[in-house]
Amino acid sequence: MREISYMEALREAIRQAMEEDERVFVIGEDIGVYGGAFGVTAGLIDQFGPQRIIDTPISEAGIAGACVGSAVTGMRPIGEIQFSDFVVIAMDQIVMQGAKMRFMFGGKAELPFVMRLATGSGTGAAAQHSESLENWFVHIPGLKVVMPSSPYDVKGLLLSSIAENNPVMFFEHKLLYKVKGPVPEDMYTIPLGKSHVVREGNNLTIIATSVMVMRAQQAAETLAKEGIEIEIIDPRTVKPLDMEPIIKSVIKTGKALIVHEAVKTGGFGGELSALIMESEAFDYLDAPVQRLAGLDMPIPYNRTLEYHAVPQVENIVEEARKLVKGVY
Amino acid sequence: MSKEIILPKFGFTQEESEILEWLKNEGDKVEKGDPIVVVSTDKISMEVEAPETGILSGIKHGIGEIVPVTEIIAYILQPGEVLPELGKKKLETEKDKISLTNSSNKSQNMAEKISEGEYIKRSKPEGKIGATPAARRIARELKVDLFNVQGSGPGGRIQAVDVSLEKAIPEKQDPLDDLPAVLKEIPLIGIRRKIADNMARSVREAPHMTLQIDVQMDAIENARKTGNENVKKRNSRISLTAAIVKAVALAIKTTPIINSQLASEKILVLKDINIGVAAALEEGLIVPVIHKADLLDVSRISITLNDLASRARENQLKPEDLSNGTFTISNLGMLGIDRFTAIINPPQSAILAVGAIKYQLVPDESEDLIFTKKKILTFTLSADHRVMDGAQAANFLVELKNLLQQPEKIFK
Amino acid sequence: MAKNKQEKLIGGVLDESRAKELLSKMVLTRKFEENAEEMFALGKVHGTMHPSVGQEAIAAGASPALRKDDYLLNTHRGHGHFLVWGGDLKRMMAEFLGKETGYCRGRGGSMHIADVESNNLGSQGIVAGNLPISVGVGLSIQMRKSEQVALTLFGDGATNEGAFHESLNMATIWNLPVIYLCENNQYAMSMAFEKAFKIKQISSRACAYGLPGITIDGNDVIAVYKAVQEAAIRARKGDGPTLIEAVTYRYRGHSKSDRQLYRTREEVKNWMKKDPIPRFAKLLDIDEKEFKKMESMAKEEIRKAVEFAESSPEPDIDTILEGIYA
Repeated sequence: MREISYMEALREAIRQAMEEDERVFVIGEDIGVYGGAFGVTAGLIDQFGPQRIIDTPISEAGIAGACVGSAVTGMRPIGEIQFSDFVVIAMDQIVMQGAKMRFMFGGKAELPFVMRLATGSGTGAAAQHSESLENWFVHIPGLKVVMPSSPYDVKGLLLSSIAENNPVMFFEHKLLYKVKGPVPEDMYTIPLGKSHVVREGNNLTIIATSVMVMRAQQAAETLAKEGIEIEIIDPRTVKPLDMEPIIKSVIKTGKALIVHEAVKTGGFGGELSALIMESEAFDYLDAPVQRLAGLDMPIPYNRTLEYHAVPQVENIVEEARKLVKGVY
Repeated sequence: MSKEIILPKFGFTQEESEILEWLKNEGDKVEKGDPIVVVSTDKISMEVEAPETGILSGIKHGIGEIVPVTEIIAYILQPGEVLPELGKKKLETEKDKISLTNSSNKSQNMAEKISEGEYIKRSKPEGKIGATPAARRIARELKVDLFNVQGSGPGGRIQAVDVSLEKAIPEKQDPLDDLPAVLKEIPLIGIRRKIADNMARSVREAPHMTLQIDVQMDAIENARKTGNENVKKRNSRISLTAAIVKAVALAIKTTPIINSQLASEKILVLKDINIGVAAALEEGLIVPVIHKADLLDVSRISITLNDLASRARENQLKPEDLSNGTFTISNLGMLGIDRFTAIINPPQSAILAVGAIKYQLVPDESEDLIFTKKKILTFTLSADHRVMDGAQAANFLVELKNLLQQPEKIFK
Repeated sequence: MAKNKQEKLIGGVLDESRAKELLSKMVLTRKFEENAEEMFALGKVHGTMHPSVGQEAIAAGASPALRKDDYLLNTHRGHGHFLVWGGDLKRMMAEFLGKETGYCRGRGGSMHIADVESNNLGSQGIVAGNLPISVGVGLSIQMRKSEQVALTLFGDGATNEGAFHESLNMATIWNLPVIYLCENNQYAMSMAFEKAFKIKQISSRACAYGLPGITIDGNDVIAVYKAVQEAAIRARKGDGPTLIEAVTYRYRGHSKSDRQLYRTREEVKNWMKKDPIPRFAKLLDIDEKEFKKMESMAKEEIRKAVEFAESSPEPDIDTILEGIYA
């Protein structure tokens, strides 16, 4: 199978969706001729024209409102928030309007929009361009939250998100845009709300999201040499979360390590820990569930500090070793 | 038509208002919309307006009074009208009906209580044990008491692997698979359960040392026989057990450590000598107690023993009959047992096992080869080595022997 | 314009029967609001409501100038607009009381009454919240090559929210078919216009974005009608949005817990003399008898609506989680 990058897979998904359904359009800053800050929409304006690849002024509230308003009146917009950090300017439209209109109106409106956000750190973009805010949206009923971790996943998940009749917050990690992987050429969907067992193993369950999936895989290879076999599960969709494979895995291994980039305090790991504890897996836990996550700090500019502010491969290896050896 | 003036509800959660100031008085003519009274609310004071033009009448509350919202506070009358009946104070209003019952299984937060699956609760170990959920589950399934398991986890936490090793049974194998065919199943409940728990605990916690002494019972048997000849009443006759009880009580007085209890960090040597005499019932062993046996004479002890025995047979023992024992005597001699070792009855520190009286040929004290036929009874004392040492236990037994072989003190 | 009855056109734009209908609706709105206030004071209504008493003329003039398939993006003070739009009083009242038969199945309340089927995209709880949405609706209309317009209502307070500026700018650069109708009732909660604005008229902000802006007498039904009609024509032609500032006055407090310390009784009384309802009645030559008839019909309609609402069932607790996701 041919290998393309995460960014190219995204572009292909958007293109195929727009070719198939004329209600789909993209709206965001610098997505037209400029091709998007990360190049995702490059070339699309030539194919679809400025009416469907809409460049906006710097107006995140406007972009989000445009998604809400057009979605509720029959369109299927894909909004782009250039850096997930800027979503704060669009919060009213997403949280108070988009997420809630269906419910407030007695279940009588449909809001089929996708908000794509470039998330995460590692590019030296510092505190206001490196956020991981997915858990804010996990907290809002009415929204769905997706975190694709590979080129194959990102295409299938975006196509599902576009077809989804509810608002979807779609978090693309900046460091994944250039990562290559096998991606089928045709249109395919990966269902939302289904977790994926990326790797099987008996000694420890690692649940990881976004760029951490790749890092966990690398850690697993190192650990395998020491005779420690890691099972890696990628939820793919953090809301709604498919707990079944996770519970099954923890029952098998008795130990769980959650890895995510977002700050630990108030991060998704806390929610997942509680869910594991509340599930049937409780009786099979042989150690406390551990969370490996971002330090409680804004992302620093300095390259080394930035590196150590979030979990890296060696951190995953170390935590896994400790858990398996019974340090915790 | 008279018009009621209602105290309005101004805020979401407001329940009442305080009357702050009447801007108009009883009998004043007011126009629709005129403010007539100032009241307090959750935030600030508000004015209530006249709903109609007319005469303000029937003011019900004065300054400083707290009035519930939606209550009638006054009326607007048209000339010539009178106030309506003072009967109804409040207009009927709908109450918010928020009935959040636990009837929904679609509601995430209103989870119904699921009854716990059954699992075996072992006797409570002292203090708490750190063990992982997995370890606890395996312990439950294999019926292993976590108290006995050594934990290899952080801080001695018991982990799954510790429990599996402990039992050394491969997981998922039912330990009951190897039993031979069952004739009868007796549930471990009630007295049987209690005895099981107590005896296991006793053996587990108290290091038992056993001492034996053979006593020539001829003197005491003769004394008894002589004494009982003159006694008419059957139940006043002195039994051997009564004599032994009295002898034990007196012997304890010389070695009080025998009559003690171990409490967390200290040994309590007890004042009262309450001797329990084990009796076998169909359901199991019970131990009725002779309280303050040292203060009773032997005939009284005998009477009491008989009474306890007959009541025990008729299931009429009271809790006080069985409580506060400080020393126990157990007699299997009557069943033909030569000698045996009894298990200490916690929280006591010693127990005396009484064997059967048997004829033996006893050599004379002198060097000559002369043998006399004697009635010999072997007493076996089990004592808690945490509380006393061999010397003290020996002391007691020797004293007991002396008392029984020279029984004057018993029959005093 | 000619009051010539033979023309049967009021103000040159409305025929007499339609005008009378509108007056009834104004009366109905007024009575509805007053009734709602009474119910609130009696503790029958959970939460709060925002009465539009005094602003009925804008409601009466705006939506009649539009078509059935146009969109309405309403404000929190929007009962009147919805009633004129064609809202069912019974279902509005039921929503008011939180009942299952309400427009939003009791889940929205006064502030979120919507009827997506009739293109009423809901009232807003967030000031200026509907402005960015109007951009989306406008884009949607444009992409579907439809002739619809989106009537977007908001107050003077909304024009100081960032969303107002983002939205008007975007609507203008893309020539979206939106009518921005600002009900300037001189107070944003307690903030008086003079304190919140250096400019004298909100319509002068239009030039900042390049769309036409006009200020009209919001208590003149005909003036409102004409302005909205013109804006609709522009929008349908593809000439983009219009900002209409309709100056009016709010008789009651912002909501039920407003003491109104920020203005005097005199001020309120003076504006009440310019009450749009008797003014419109005078324009239509309605006599006292006919007016009283309208009032009693309104009261009766409201009584029936209250009866319907009060006898309607509460939402079933087992359905509490319904309607969150499609």
